Amino acid sequence: MTGTETHVPAGRDRRPDPLDDGSGVAAVALREVTKRFPGAGRKGGDDEVIAVDGVQLDIADGEFFSLLGPSGCGKTTTLRLIGGFEFPTAGSVRIFGDEMALEPPNKRPVNTVFQSYALFPHMTIEDNVGFGLKMQGVEHDERTQRVAEMIELVQLGGREKRRPRQLSGGQQQRVALARALVNHPKVLLLDEPLGALDLKLRQTMQLELKQLQERVGITFVYVTHDQDEALTMSDRIGVMDGGRVLQVGSPKDIYDRPRTRFVADFIGDSNFLALTIDTSGAAHLPDGSMVRVDGDHAAGSTVTAALRPESIGLHGHDVPHRDDLDTLDAEVERVTYLGKARAYQVRTAGTGGAVRLDVRQGNAPGSQHFEVGEQVRARWMPDSLTVLDD
Amino acid sequence: MSMTNAPVREPTDEPSEPAPEGAGGPGLEHREERARARRGLLIGLPSLVYLVLLFAVPLGIVLVYSFATRSRTGRTILGDWSLDAYGRLIDSLVLEIFLRSVWLAVVSTVICLVLAYPFAYYLATRSARSRAILLVLVMIPFWSNFLVRTYAWRVLLGSDGPLVGLLEGVGVEDLRLLFTPFAIVLGLVYGFLPFMILPLYASIERIDFSLVEAARDLYGTGWQAFRTVTWPLSRPGVIAGSILVFIPSFGAYVTPEILGGSKTTMLGSYVVRQFLSARDWPFGSALSFAILAVMLVAAMVYFRTGGKSL
Amino acid sequence: MSVVDVSASGDAVVTTARPRRGVQRVLAGNAWLVFAFLYLPILVLIVLSFNDNRLIGVWTDPSLRWYRALANDAAVLGALKNSLVVAAISTTISTVLGTAAALSLERFTYRGQGLFDGLLYLPVIIPDVTMAVMMLLFFVQAFDLVAAAFGITPQLGLTSISLSHVAFNISFVAIVVRARLSGLDRSLEEAAADLYATPWQAFRRVTLPLIAPGVAGGALLALTLSLDDVVITSFVSGPGSTTLPVYVFGLVRRGVTPLINAVSALMLVGSMVLVVASLLIQRGRGTA
Repeated sequence: MTGTETHVPAGRDRRPDPLDDGSGVAAVALREVTKRFPGAGRKGGDDEVIAVDGVQLDIADGEFFSLLGPSGCGKTTTLRLIGGFEFPTAGSVRIFGDEMALEPPNKRPVNTVFQSYALFPHMTIEDNVGFGLKMQGVEHDERTQRVAEMIELVQLGGREKRRPRQLSGGQQQRVALARALVNHPKVLLLDEPLGALDLKLRQTMQLELKQLQERVGITFVYVTHDQDEALTMSDRIGVMDGGRVLQVGSPKDIYDRPRTRFVADFIGDSNFLALTIDTSGAAHLPDGSMVRVDGDHAAGSTVTAALRPESIGLHGHDVPHRDDLDTLDAEVERVTYLGKARAYQVRTAGTGGAVRLDVRQGNAPGSQHFEVGEQVRARWMPDSLTVLDD
Repeated sequence: MSMTNAPVREPTDEPSEPAPEGAGGPGLEHREERARARRGLLIGLPSLVYLVLLFAVPLGIVLVYSFATRSRTGRTILGDWSLDAYGRLIDSLVLEIFLRSVWLAVVSTVICLVLAYPFAYYLATRSARSRAILLVLVMIPFWSNFLVRTYAWRVLLGSDGPLVGLLEGVGVEDLRLLFTPFAIVLGLVYGFLPFMILPLYASIERIDFSLVEAARDLYGTGWQAFRTVTWPLSRPGVIAGSILVFIPSFGAYVTPEILGGSKTTMLGSYVVRQFLSARDWPFGSALSFAILAVMLVAAMVYFRTGGKSL
Repeated sequence: MSVVDVSASGDAVVTTARPRRGVQRVLAGNAWLVFAFLYLPILVLIVLSFNDNRLIGVWTDPSLRWYRALANDAAVLGALKNSLVVAAISTTISTVLGTAAALSLERFTYRGQGLFDGLLYLPVIIPDVTMAVMMLLFFVQAFDLVAAAFGITPQLGLTSISLSHVAFNISFVAIVVRARLSGLDRSLEEAAADLYATPWQAFRRVTLPLIAPGVAGGALLALTLSLDDVVITSFVSGPGSTTLPVYVFGLVRRGVTPLINAVSALMLVGSMVLVVASLLIQRGRGTA
């Protein structure tokens, strides 16, 4: 795997490549890729939409990489730029070192699983899967064999002569996968491939997809707006918003160490704490209590830190202090029963501005519960508090 | 059918992105997208050339002819330009024919609307199966030969035809149905009724009937719900259908020729007469342009009011 | 008797928005009235065509007398042949050109597209009479030019008729095909490109088979319009090139005869066969 985060000075000169750490050629390398769509108004007007904004990205050979973000964040456009369905306004798209930015899709060694699957309705499953090989001029015998193997691999044996419409959503999804994988692409692009399936089937398919990826060893670039999906399946995740890649890292990185408020908010839930740094470098909450934070921060500055509700332990008010934990005394304001957990909102009893915390406690047998109005003590490990960049 | 160029973009999660505009997009992709744009133009070029040559150019020739003059022998003299042909458009005879055409077309349109609206509503509220069958039953006469369908009324309305016989049987004396404005309106309604039914059906079928339920839920009577919800929502269909009936009715030729008489000349027949018997081509050309103008105004009303599909 | 909501899924959902029974009855009654209005004249005409009597109003015996007369009528047969020739030529050309125009407008973006779009729609909304005048004057001018340049004067005939029919049929074909294209999921064509198909292969193997019902529908519409046209054809036809509708129109203006009834009945049946054929094609090929 290559590095975790990309920092490239803006500039035209791309040699030597600052992202090339010598660990081998990236499967997909995007350099300062920008895609602008002209607005609906007059040509050359100011109403252009910047769908992708100076994206730098390296996806390593063999990894399962997810592009995660809300609707309209540019993740699908980024995928389409790799697939060749859009050409970038500026920047470079390299696939295993070859510049591909302006190559049409049929000249790129990548294949796509479309959101709608885009199975050819007038062809049988067999012909759908064999289409790519046929276009590449693979001769009949080899084609038949590879198609048969692939259909077997996705467990659709016996359905070769059916039409896509005669299959269920999950089966269609597998045909789409087989149709792409049979070509041995160097990179497989998947555009929300599970979006149309219901929850149960989606969870099964997540697992299957991940196993399939490990088996075939092909680089997967996976677009999704579903954080659980991304966290479950990916080796690494790139979180996008407003056409930019905000953070790249392993699921654990992204979840435990979000760098921006957006990432912390979009993936999971977070408490956002406004911290004031005093002259000695110690951080204070608005209610005056002191907490421990990572890194050096300028005296007198204010920073925001994120704290996950499930990183906080809730105890009775008489639980003893521990040196390795930060502590806040508070009163329970609200309790919501969630089935597998309880969500609490607690409010500190400090002197200054009150601090509210969301806390999540599991409902395992024997776990402690609290009622509204009860005095509680909240504790967390100092390193679960993450200071954000913005 | 969309009149504007709104290419469908990716049906994915980024609906806010407008379409890229081939030759005008910013940046580096120009070369590739220009090549693609060229290919698109090339594919359309044969039709474009054909339409320019056999539609736009002829239109221009008609315009030129409308400013020409006519010699005593009926020859058209190009080069001796005048506005005489247009001046004659306000002759009382021409005005009478013009107003009659507008009147008969409006009456036909209104009758079509009155017949077609409840019909389309009925159609749109059937089950999917019977809707398909009923639609086919509407389409069959629509696709059948127009001349022959008009001729059928000539047979029906004739003095020895079944309708007159029937009416005389119940005591109506000296009845003349054929060669009257009534016959023309009947023929026009018969000929163009499907043009009204189909757009009306399309727009009523698209209405979310839970809106009607909401209106009823909010204490509206059935009539109030119709007037405040169904009717406004079906207006695009009403406008489209009205224009699709009005335009061919206004310029009709076959119907008034077969069902009308000498006292019910319509503009279409009058134009044809200028070319095939009177040999006054400049005047005929000016008349054609007058028809075209009315048609364009009608079409503009249609597109202004947001109509989009046929 | 209920109002069904078909807005989203096409499933029939019974709603409480149904009109009262009385209103329902009126609606149903009107519907039957409209159907009777649409079909009775056609049926009467077909029945009358089998009347043995020379007088339309007097029914004697059913017979095929007028059909036999038709079979020996050289003028009718000649006109029919002309009609079929013109229809075949103009349908073929306009189907190819109209489909290309639809593709060009629906799948590409380029400058000047709006003008092309407008030009494509005009023939649909322009009244027949105006179009007829345009075609006549065009050929008169074009023939003058040819005569001046080559010394030979071409005559109005099947060629000028076919060219005129193509001029209005391109638009109708393009509209029908375009409707089909716009309903076609674009990612299907992208998938073809993704699977190594060249633009031509993608068109040939994916786009064309999927829009085929639209192309067939457009072709049938063009065929019908060509076989229907009276006004434009009568302006640009020359000696010996009369088509069947123009010939029948000439007869009709002179009066009603049992012979016209027979021709008309045949033409009606002919166009109905076309409709049914078109519906079968649309159904057989399925929808994308």
